[in-house]
Amino acid sequence: MNPGDRRTAERGSIELAGVTKRFGETAAVRNIDLKIPGGCYCCLLGPSGCGKTTILRMIAGHESPTEGAVLIDGENVVGKPPVERGTAMMFQSYALFPHLSCMDNVAFNLKVRGVGKAGRRARALDMLDRVRMKSFADRLPAQLSGGQQQRIALARSLITNPRVLLLDEPLSALDEFLRLQMRGELRHIQAEFGITFIHVTHTQMEAIALADMVVVMDQGQIEQAASARDVYDRPRTGYVAHFMGGQNVLAGTVTGRQTGTVIIASGKKNITITAPASAPGVGEQFEVAVRRDRVRLSRAPSEAADAGVNGVSGRVAAIEYQGTWLKVSIEDACGEGFVANVPDGEFFADPLTIGDPVIARWDAEQLHYLVTRSVKVAEAAAAAAAD
Amino acid sequence: MKVSPTLASYLQIGPLLLVLLLFFGIPLLVIIAYSFFQFDGLDSIPAFDFVNYIDVLTSEVTLSLYLKTLYYAVVVWAITLLIGFTVAYFLAFHVQSLIWQMALLLLCTVPFWTSNIIRMISWIPFLGRNGIFNNALIGAGITDEPLEFLLFSDFAVIIAYVHLFTLFMIVPIFNAMARIDKALIEAARDGGASAWRIIRDIVVPLSRTGIALGSIFVLTLVMGDFFVVRVMSGSRSASIAMAMSNQIAMVQYPPAAASAVILLIVVSLMVAAILRVVDVRKEIAG
Amino acid sequence: MQKLQTGKRPWSFYALSGFFGLFVLFLYGPMSAIYILSFQGPAGGLTFPMRGWSFHWFDALFRQQRTGDFAGAFTRSMILAVMVLLLTVAISVVAGLAFRRRFAGSALVFYLAVASLIMPGLLVGLGVGLTFQTLGVQTKWFASALGAQLTWTLPFGMLIMFAVFSRFDRAYEEAARDLGATNWQIFLWVVLPILFPGMIAVALFGFTLSYDEFPRTLLTSGAANTLPMEIWGMTTNVTSPALYALGSVTTLVSFIAIALALGSIAIIQWRRSRQPVGRKPSTKESE
Repeated sequence: MNPGDRRTAERGSIELAGVTKRFGETAAVRNIDLKIPGGCYCCLLGPSGCGKTTILRMIAGHESPTEGAVLIDGENVVGKPPVERGTAMMFQSYALFPHLSCMDNVAFNLKVRGVGKAGRRARALDMLDRVRMKSFADRLPAQLSGGQQQRIALARSLITNPRVLLLDEPLSALDEFLRLQMRGELRHIQAEFGITFIHVTHTQMEAIALADMVVVMDQGQIEQAASARDVYDRPRTGYVAHFMGGQNVLAGTVTGRQTGTVIIASGKKNITITAPASAPGVGEQFEVAVRRDRVRLSRAPSEAADAGVNGVSGRVAAIEYQGTWLKVSIEDACGEGFVANVPDGEFFADPLTIGDPVIARWDAEQLHYLVTRSVKVAEAAAAAAAD
Repeated sequence: MKVSPTLASYLQIGPLLLVLLLFFGIPLLVIIAYSFFQFDGLDSIPAFDFVNYIDVLTSEVTLSLYLKTLYYAVVVWAITLLIGFTVAYFLAFHVQSLIWQMALLLLCTVPFWTSNIIRMISWIPFLGRNGIFNNALIGAGITDEPLEFLLFSDFAVIIAYVHLFTLFMIVPIFNAMARIDKALIEAARDGGASAWRIIRDIVVPLSRTGIALGSIFVLTLVMGDFFVVRVMSGSRSASIAMAMSNQIAMVQYPPAAASAVILLIVVSLMVAAILRVVDVRKEIAG
Repeated sequence: MQKLQTGKRPWSFYALSGFFGLFVLFLYGPMSAIYILSFQGPAGGLTFPMRGWSFHWFDALFRQQRTGDFAGAFTRSMILAVMVLLLTVAISVVAGLAFRRRFAGSALVFYLAVASLIMPGLLVGLGVGLTFQTLGVQTKWFASALGAQLTWTLPFGMLIMFAVFSRFDRAYEEAARDLGATNWQIFLWVVLPILFPGMIAVALFGFTLSYDEFPRTLLTSGAANTLPMEIWGMTTNVTSPALYALGSVTTLVSFIAIALALGSIAIIQWRRSRQPVGRKPSTKESE
């Protein structure tokens, strides 16, 4: 496949419709609906056991859904073996055949298809060249480093001319430095070949660095499927906000309402926050997110000081230097911890120390309202009732 | 033809199961059957008679044979355990590189792949009156007369057993030791434990499945042996299996079969006792 | 017992290596005496001193009738060992494949195999002999002895295959399937080659255990002797160093088999090395 073949942007589009996978009594994923456009770099993101690998394997054809349909380019592929789907999978351990040379590894699919020896050699070398590993053609996998093995694994998958490439935590086993380098290579290859990439990972930064579309998952459900920017800046739920990092989540029960604001009881404090258009009533759950780098810290007379609207007060619990900014953790500000990311210049102008009482404030525009847990529970209950 | 995974498993296990049933399971049943047959001095007569069992169990010879065989078994077990544990310990904890560990272990294993009988009789010129050992002792002036007890004695029998069977202790114990997390040992040393403490409190408990496996091997091998005893004791001593082999040679199958069943029961009890102390299933399964 | 911090080893290392050295001497010493004595001069006896050096007793071994049917026994032992080798490898590999999955009765078969391993050889021989007698079939070295020997070699083979399969990464098969291979292709092109060193180990056990096997074969080989039985016959009336010559010859055969097997495994492993598979790379990274 040549880079010029990206005419049909639809090629390699994937849709999951009502997909459920049960292992015995437990459901690894339940009632998943997801659409991934062709040519997209999509990351499935979540902690261990969230179901992301199960989804990957169902798209690959190494698992079959208990219910629901998996469509590739509009065609339901459930029941079809991997080779007939136009998908190729790259395994976490790469699974390069240890007894075959790099060239024979790459040529494996060609051998399966019955291509003659000369033809196999030529095409394998060509593909090795594309991933800049031609000089390693006769080496064995054990003689290669991690990054080199990944390129061979990629070449082996790409030679099958897939519409979709599925990657199972490809960067997890590499060390930090190599990980960053290989990240760029993956993105580059995806752009060059125009194939849909579905990349499973548990590292948030990796996902937003690579992906056009991030799918955040937890316990077999999709929490949010959106662009990287949206997932980071406008998380849909408290879970996504927590998982992506970079956000403070203020959550609690509404204890009072005034014009334009609500008061929630979070932890030991009462916090007054600008209300959204459809304000919740007293007694309901309310969750809102504020980016950590969008809060301003100022010294307070005491930790119980009144922070006013769109502010919290508390005590500095920890300070971590992170180069261009400092992570200031504040305790007793709200139910969960509160963190402010302060630019280093600003911090060192008047450095705080542990134990200082502070007030953190933000603008109303920085508030991002989240879908609360009770709404999610209701949704889940409705879904379960429909099973 | 698409075969279901379960069916495939059954087909694949079939040959093994077949061979084991044909040449182990059924023969075992046949032995049990024969043990109830009668023997008139020439032929085995099908019957259901306990006479053979009564003969064996009430005979004094049986008791002395079992005592003798058990004596060998326990002494050999103790010696092979000591040697086996020490060698395995050396290989697992003192030999640093994996390659050397494997090489030295192989060195110990190679004799196992040669003939047992040859290895056994190789002790004869070594221990004999004019043998290497005696000549060396005399030459060094330690004794004037050659030591008679070295050969064709219990000593020789036990030496031969130890020579043949120590490997069966080394391999399982080594395997178990190799799986011990070295960090445990270092943590213990950090805490001030002496080497003996560490061996007693950490190494021995964690390698007990290996010790159990090795013990099972050694005990069953000694209990079931008939040729080492005969040759190395110069036919002066005897064992259960040796008596059995004599009966077989005289086509006294029913009595031999009854002896066999009783031996099997005794050995099974010993194995069961060991397994009660140590759960070995995990070790075998990998 | 400490890891080398300064390069200095504790005294216990030297004590234990001394012990180990003694043990190796204990293992190999007496056998060496036999090999040396097999070159005993024509006038020499069964023990030292050596009276001259010669191939006299090797000669006697091959020629004289009264030493028994050496050539025939040797041939039979070799053929039997090869048959046992092939059967053990085939059956163990396939059984190993079966045990990768849980299936009803798998534990039973496993314990049956282990019991077969522990049961004294004499009893197995007795049982098989009696079974054949009951059925009215003659015991034959290539039938009853073969089966009896398999009860000894198959459990070993099975245990080795267990160890091999437990290290076998299923991802290889999945990757092959992902690349379009059929079950048969996966087995031939991926599974078998990776299993190959393990299969050689099983073959080695199968061959040597059969070639040297005695108690089971004694009662089941029928009219014809195998080599160990010939040796046994000579021990009961040891009259000349021809027995030692026989010992040297048979051990030589064993050593050749061992060298072939270990050598092949070493070559294969050296080519394939240990799998780092994408783990934190060492200094090999040079991009």
